[in-house]
Amino acid sequence: MNAPTNLSRRGFAALLGGAGLAIGFRWQAEAQAPATGPLMLRTNPRMESWLRIAPDGSITVLTGRVELGQGVLTAMRQIAAEELDVAPARLTLLSGDTAETANEGVTAGSQSIRFGGEALGVACADARATLLGVAAEAWGQPRERLAVKDGVIEAPDGRRMSYGEAAGRVSLARPVDVTARRKPASAATIVGTSLPRTDLPAKVFGQTVFIHDLRPEGMLFGAVARPPAYAARLVSLDLAWAKSLPGVVEVVRDGSFVGIIARREEQANDAARKIVAAAQWRDGAPLFGGKSVFDHLLGDGALTQTIHTTAGATPGARTHRAEYRRGFQAHASIGASCALAKFEEGRLTVWSHAQGPFPLRGDLARGLRMPPASIRVIHAQGSGCYGHNGADDVALDAALLARALPGRTIRVHWTHEEEMSWAPWGSAMVVRLEAGLAADGALTSWGHDVWSFPHSTRPGGSTGCNLRSAWHLENPVPIGPITDGALPNGAAGRNAVPIYAVPGQRVTTHFHTAMPVRTSALRTLGGYFNAVAADMFLDECAALAGVDPVAYRLRHLTDPRLVAVLRRAVEISGWQPRAITLGRASAAGSVLRGTGVGLSKYKNSDSHVAVVAEVAVDVGSGAVRVEKLWAATEAGRLVNPDGVTNQIEGGMVQATSWTLMEEGRWDAGRMVSEDYQSYPILDFSHTPRIQSALIDRPDLPSLGVGEGSQAPTGAAIANAILAATGRHVPEIPFTPDRVRAALRG
Amino acid sequence: MLSLSVNGRTTAIDIAPETPLIYALRNDLALNGPKLGCARGQCGACTVLVDGQPVRACLTRTSAATLPHRITTLEGLGTPDQPHPLQAAFLAEQAAQCGYCTSGMIMQAAALLAERRPALDEAQVAAALDLNLCRCGTQPRVVRAVMRAARQQGA
Repeated sequence: MNAPTNLSRRGFAALLGGAGLAIGFRWQAEAQAPATGPLMLRTNPRMESWLRIAPDGSITVLTGRVELGQGVLTAMRQIAAEELDVAPARLTLLSGDTAETANEGVTAGSQSIRFGGEALGVACADARATLLGVAAEAWGQPRERLAVKDGVIEAPDGRRMSYGEAAGRVSLARPVDVTARRKPASAATIVGTSLPRTDLPAKVFGQTVFIHDLRPEGMLFGAVARPPAYAARLVSLDLAWAKSLPGVVEVVRDGSFVGIIARREEQANDAARKIVAAAQWRDGAPLFGGKSVFDHLLGDGALTQTIHTTAGATPGARTHRAEYRRGFQAHASIGASCALAKFEEGRLTVWSHAQGPFPLRGDLARGLRMPPASIRVIHAQGSGCYGHNGADDVALDAALLARALPGRTIRVHWTHEEEMSWAPWGSAMVVRLEAGLAADGALTSWGHDVWSFPHSTRPGGSTGCNLRSAWHLENPVPIGPITDGALPNGAAGRNAVPIYAVPGQRVTTHFHTAMPVRTSALRTLGGYFNAVAADMFLDECAALAGVDPVAYRLRHLTDPRLVAVLRRAVEISGWQPRAITLGRASAAGSVLRGTGVGLSKYKNSDSHVAVVAEVAVDVGSGAVRVEKLWAATEAGRLVNPDGVTNQIEGGMVQATSWTLMEEGRWDAGRMVSEDYQSYPILDFSHTPRIQSALIDRPDLPSLGVGEGSQAPTGAAIANAILAATGRHVPEIPFTPDRVRAALRG
Repeated sequence: MLSLSVNGRTTAIDIAPETPLIYALRNDLALNGPKLGCARGQCGACTVLVDGQPVRACLTRTSAATLPHRITTLEGLGTPDQPHPLQAAFLAEQAAQCGYCTSGMIMQAAALLAERRPALDEAQVAAALDLNLCRCGTQPRVVRAVMRAARQQGA
């Protein structure tokens, strides 16, 4: 039961699933960045940032992307192994380390495979071609006649040269040749197969794999005594008393930041609780001035901007309008955020499960007022995050404590309540839609207005510090400038541009930069709710037109990839075409059943997913049960089909939970939905049966799938309720109370 | 000193008797299997077996689990060379994403399989795991994995 005693590079290489030691030099990316080629190679042009081959033939693959439970390291291993012609198991993977890997920003937005994987693939293809060239020259053979088998170059006459030997004859310490050609998809033997996840055995046998499992010698435990409200500030605290609490080694007070270092984890947490209760705090203003968050959103203070228009609107025979709302939703990770930090001789090392080691380093540097070059951030896996949760914040907490006790590693593991109250929330939103319908039901115009708080207040800016405790310091470092994400990806306006071919489109965002409740990226940002609202609205338009929802979609679709997934979902679900009757006064029976469809192209540029939902609505209680979900997905070339299925199906379960159950509540001072009783998530008994189909398009670039299924799932559930009851429930989550109210209305 | 039998080995640790068992297992005995989740008994990530019964280690006082009680964690179920049927089944079904809830799921399911119900079905598995939460949405895979292990056990 010995714990690892140091956190050296060797320890981490082993932790990441390989035995080899990272070799080679890390060169600063001083080389001229190429203006073409994969985006990630423009910012990280050096081969050593992606691939290192040692004389003994051991191969280290590096990625700036990090494992969040989405299986990205397995997929990257497949991509590298494919291009190199090496068995996947022979590769050592190193990810997300500011001292070693490429700076790929944040692992988010379903972009890892599409951008990071493409860059890695090109780098590996370049390396393979170079090494093959070495052997070809040495043997006087044309390159085309040589083959590679598991990292050994072979000539037809039987001569062999290992990659290690070839690498010793040429320098790979150079910029990647961005014109290197990747292997054609038709020749692939590893990409496109469901290689089992390389990190799962450790998780199934209880080996060291999570950040929470790191136990360096002499580690101490930290905790933070949070103010009782977001706006509250510390007036006084008896520090001598605080330091005398059981097990406490040190108490750090800096302004309203109070951190505790203790010998034991439970002692640190107990001391934090006692300190919160005993300290004197000054209250701030009540959240939202006591109003509802929707009144607040629709009220003053929003920056209104029309971000998208197309020509061709014509007045319809009739106009349809609707409003939809969604409250705050949480990441609600099973394991709360955790970080380790060690301060030594002016240098800080932080172990973090944040999505962006480099962005985090920048904000740590500004928060701690030290140079970024003196900080190293090393990724270690955490519990799934689903966006910007407390992972970044807790790193600053650990660093502030470690700075007070140089030479000792300090681990801070937030409590679940802390995560729920103090990590960013997914924004509450309001969407209003307006469309013109021609006499035949065709859409003649489309207007989408969205009111929202920010969807990305992540670290990674050039000024300020987006880590919560920095705002509480005696000399606070305020949050950096807050902006909305621009199209084509968008943030508040993500997926507000319709996927349907409608003339006269207009999308307007009403963006609040002031955040009474801090908000940031929750999986899909604004994409889930914008697309759900739009697809709910579309079904109402279909009903007004008296047309089956699938037929109505097909009538307004020109994107063949969306048509393909829609047709596939219809096929596997056995969809029965029928028009929806709006506002059916009272349908017979105590349980109403209905089937609905949802369709989305994430970010208007990413994976294509159609979902069909079958629900049962209990008229008496208002309870909605999602009985079954069917999904069809097309995301270009599939790197790991089972990994894609896992992401798509997981997203459907999570979105079922969002859509039916999840809503954060607050009191005057802060969010108070702080445990799984006050913020329940979907359990096994309510998990729908799921059937999903993949459409492989090896001829097309791989697209991200981590955020593809949430919106169409939410829309399909909403539209199934509409089909069952004749009514839409205008506010997510569709709680029994709201469903009953809608049925009465 | 508290004497604990964990995974067949007896150790003595010098901690306050009321210390929640999860801290003793993770921080004193350096076990990785049981995870600290909500610390309120609501998520199941910390589930371990005490005398074969699933308990929430976050709500269990260490003094309530001392000898002669016997504690089993994920590490005590099986090894890569000799996996428990559930461990093999979770890998076969790839029944995880982040894997933080996996240990608790397997321990809860191990207690269910130990009952050796004659006609275990998916609804019973779901009911048995209802207080184990997964945020990644792998519930369908977890149910399949438990059913696979049950079949193997019955075979």
